[in-house]
Amino acid sequence: MTPDRPTGGSLPIDSPGEMRRAVEALAGPPGQGTKPMTSDLSIDEELLLHSIGWEPVELVTGASIFSVPMGVWNWGQGEITSASTAFAGAFAGAIARIHRETTRAGGHGVVGVHVETSVQRHHIDVTLLGTAVRPVGSHKGATTPFVSDLGARDFTVLHVSGWEPTGLAVGAGFVYAPRRSMGTAMQQKSQNVELTNFTEAMYSARESAMERMQASALALRGSGVVDVTVNEGPIEFARHAIGFTAWGTAVRLAGDQHRTIEPSTVVPLDDAQVAFDASTLG
Amino acid sequence: MTDAPQDPSAAPEELPKDLPEATSRRLAELEHGLFTSDLSVNEFLLIKEVGFHPLGLVMGSSIYHTGIQTRKWGQSQELTKLTEAMYNARELAMTRMEEEADQLGADGVVGVRLDVNYYEWGKDAAEFIAVGTAVKAESGVSHRNALGKPFTSDLSGQDFWTLMQTGYIPQGLVMGTCVYHIAHRGLGQTLGSAGQNVELPNFTQALYEAREMAMTRMQDEADRLEASGIVGVRLEEKSHQWGSHTIEFLSLGTAVTKTSDEVTLPVPTTIISLDN
Repeated sequence: MTPDRPTGGSLPIDSPGEMRRAVEALAGPPGQGTKPMTSDLSIDEELLLHSIGWEPVELVTGASIFSVPMGVWNWGQGEITSASTAFAGAFAGAIARIHRETTRAGGHGVVGVHVETSVQRHHIDVTLLGTAVRPVGSHKGATTPFVSDLGARDFTVLHVSGWEPTGLAVGAGFVYAPRRSMGTAMQQKSQNVELTNFTEAMYSARESAMERMQASALALRGSGVVDVTVNEGPIEFARHAIGFTAWGTAVRLAGDQHRTIEPSTVVPLDDAQVAFDASTLG
Repeated sequence: MTDAPQDPSAAPEELPKDLPEATSRRLAELEHGLFTSDLSVNEFLLIKEVGFHPLGLVMGSSIYHTGIQTRKWGQSQELTKLTEAMYNARELAMTRMEEEADQLGADGVVGVRLDVNYYEWGKDAAEFIAVGTAVKAESGVSHRNALGKPFTSDLSGQDFWTLMQTGYIPQGLVMGTCVYHIAHRGLGQTLGSAGQNVELPNFTQALYEAREMAMTRMQDEADRLEASGIVGVRLEEKSHQWGSHTIEFLSLGTAVTKTSDEVTLPVPTTIISLDN
């Protein structure tokens, strides 16, 4: 909240002025003087972070759009290399930008990153948005902060059991599925058969994507990848092209060994909320 | 990837017997200590808690074309050809996933998801996919099932932890399926019951029979694994793309056996949360 914020209920509010002040406040390093700190963490998440001696610093983003050459989607054989390269390039670009923002803001890592990807005919877009965090009291940003799609809660639980995230491991593969000949398609019409052309294309896209994700996890010096998000299926605008994308947070042991958490079990005695559902009356 | 002409009797031989080369390469990489997994952080830590370590995300898939079977308008019957297709395609996906787990030297696969996806590849073609996380006991004791294969289970990390505390161990994901055509009612029947409160015995009976068949087939699978019970059974009814009177009844669950009488599950604390 800036000190010169208009008080009282007199309208109209000077919204361009408000925005200018917000932008000015965000331009400098956060958390100093009267400069505000922004974060999309909930109060609970922020408290959890503080419980392990970390604090949020700033909302950071990274985005990148990579062009895909004309006409690569429709005919061919094997992998659509230019699409796979474009995806990798867009992701690397977005990561580089979020790194830069985090370092500038003084963060040591980014948690709760929302990953948005979109595969279009002529371009592939990747957008990352998350909250930069740092150990309380450290003011210098890390040169290569970690980027993780795990929330602050998961980050805390990992930290407590002796693990740390090292970065976002990503892989993608785009492959053409060869068309069945008209004759084969007719012949198979009434049969139970596996469509080997599609199965093989799906496998090939999956394997390239998973292998790339593993390579990127190893490059991040992770010993594992958790919470992998997998998206697969034919490309909307090119039905004979199959895409497979996978990403997850690379993790490694921070100390010597894994610390067990020894959970206790609880039974909540709250009654289930019974909501009145008008649609059941139809 | 050639379009070889497919003769029905020769079809099984043409199916890829082994895992693709790239899969073996990927799995070889995993053997060097890196793991991948779609488990959440909670599940990952709970699996570590019971002495297992994740090895890798394992998958199997098959894109399958289901054949055509004519149904009689007024007759309730199982559509064996469609049942076979649903069985075969799922088995293909499951077996391929198990093979991957086997190659990793896993004791089992947890958190298995079995999905059917319909894409725009044409009518009657669907992708059957099985995805899970291969795990191995850190103690080196083998937890493979009665058939010497890695166990499979659709239990979450949380359920797996709880089950292990009570001395049970999963044996395998078991399923039974039945595609059933339910007869339409004749005009006379419909008119006869108009305005009355009556049970529709033909519908009731058809649904009963189809469900029973699916359940029995699932139990048979569990018997083969010498399991003592099936937990977390789900019964799903789906029409897929066959119209309203043709329904697939699918029952899925995890077959378990008791390995020790020792229950280490702590007595649960009862709580009343004060937040709303």
